[in-house]
Amino acid sequence: MSSDAPVDDALADEGGAGDAPGDAETDARACAYTEYDEGDAPEDVPATGAGASGVERRVWDELYQVDDPEMPVSVVDLGLIYGVGVEDGEATVDMTLTYTGCPARDMLLGEVESAAANAEGVEDTSVRLVWSPEWSVEMVTPEGRERLREFGLSL
Amino acid sequence: MTALDPDDLSGDERTAVEHLLYRLADDELVLAERYTEWQVTAPTLESDLALANIAQDELGHARLWYDLLQDLGYSESELIYERDPGEFRHATLAEVPFEEGDWADAVVRGYLYDVAENCRLEALENSAHPRIANRVSKVRGEEEYHREHARNWLERLAGDEDGRRRLQTALDRLFPHALTLFEPTDETVEDDIVGMGIRRRGLDDLREEWLATVEPFLESVGLRLPMDPDDPADRLPDAVGRDRSHTDDWFDLHDEMTHTYRELGRTETTRIMDKPTDE
Repeated sequence: MSSDAPVDDALADEGGAGDAPGDAETDARACAYTEYDEGDAPEDVPATGAGASGVERRVWDELYQVDDPEMPVSVVDLGLIYGVGVEDGEATVDMTLTYTGCPARDMLLGEVESAAANAEGVEDTSVRLVWSPEWSVEMVTPEGRERLREFGLSL
Repeated sequence: MTALDPDDLSGDERTAVEHLLYRLADDELVLAERYTEWQVTAPTLESDLALANIAQDELGHARLWYDLLQDLGYSESELIYERDPGEFRHATLAEVPFEEGDWADAVVRGYLYDVAENCRLEALENSAHPRIANRVSKVRGEEEYHREHARNWLERLAGDEDGRRRLQTALDRLFPHALTLFEPTDETVEDDIVGMGIRRRGLDDLREEWLATVEPFLESVGLRLPMDPDDPADRLPDAVGRDRSHTDDWFDLHDEMTHTYRELGRTETTRIMDKPTDE
């Protein structure tokens, strides 16, 4: 998540539509970008494992152990997991990433796959990376928000 | 989720899907590669970070489109590092070098490209292939900043005569290359791309929409498009990229891009960790 956030601010700070030329040099100012679009939360995602039982429950428990690489919040509470299914010992996890250019992509996919494989009763796992619906901050769970606030983010 | 399964595609359809994906992916990869040349040399720290971030976005988007080509059986090495540079299909706008130290070039190029990208992504939102359509909104969501960044810099640089002159020089030089964004890879395949609903709109249509956006905005900041309004395509450069004809600069850039891979004698791309099934 964080790979894009700070730079978006810097990028927006280029702002200055209507600034007279040269203002940026002389008038240092705080980020003028105030139009944040938090997006809408689609109804079905993210999935959180509420009500899951059996092997599926154990897969969810493992996924809750996988943290975002930069913030103390699990990938589930960050809203990245869109679905978990277990059939005949094969676990399938649908997940997204906050950002298409996420440098931790391979690491996260690998960690999620390993986590699902750790659950007792899982013989085989596959992780499918999906991009629709688009992840937004609205997908962070209430627990995730709490963790991120404690971490120092304003959510 | 419907995978892009090669078994579901007829020969002609597979060719059309591949051409469309190469257009998208190669543009993003090559432009990102060029953008990174500005690292540590952009005019301010903020603009340096902004352009680096835009480059990272474009690399992320390139990956989304190359992923679909991987669905069709190609490896990352085959798609990028071991692919003959003469097989790439990006527009020449992405490959031509920046005029030495000319920030106006980076600004104009980003603006022309990002508006075009938005037009073509919109035309993919209802693609007949869900795997293509499903990733469009994510990409578009990340692109808004790019256009805002470019417009803000255009307005800022156009605020004085020297800046405006530099912008106009860059526009005169880059505009013919921007037109190549709307050239077909191959006339017959392009007809299939639209006819099979892979992209819902034709290239002429997209170019018209692009011109209808960029022309009034550029005029509003005191710039004029170097073109014949009756025949917007009359300024095409000799090499148009899409049909795999390129400028010499592309071969140099490709050589640089693949240098480390070759130097280390690689045959596959780096993986951060093995998948559990590989153990």
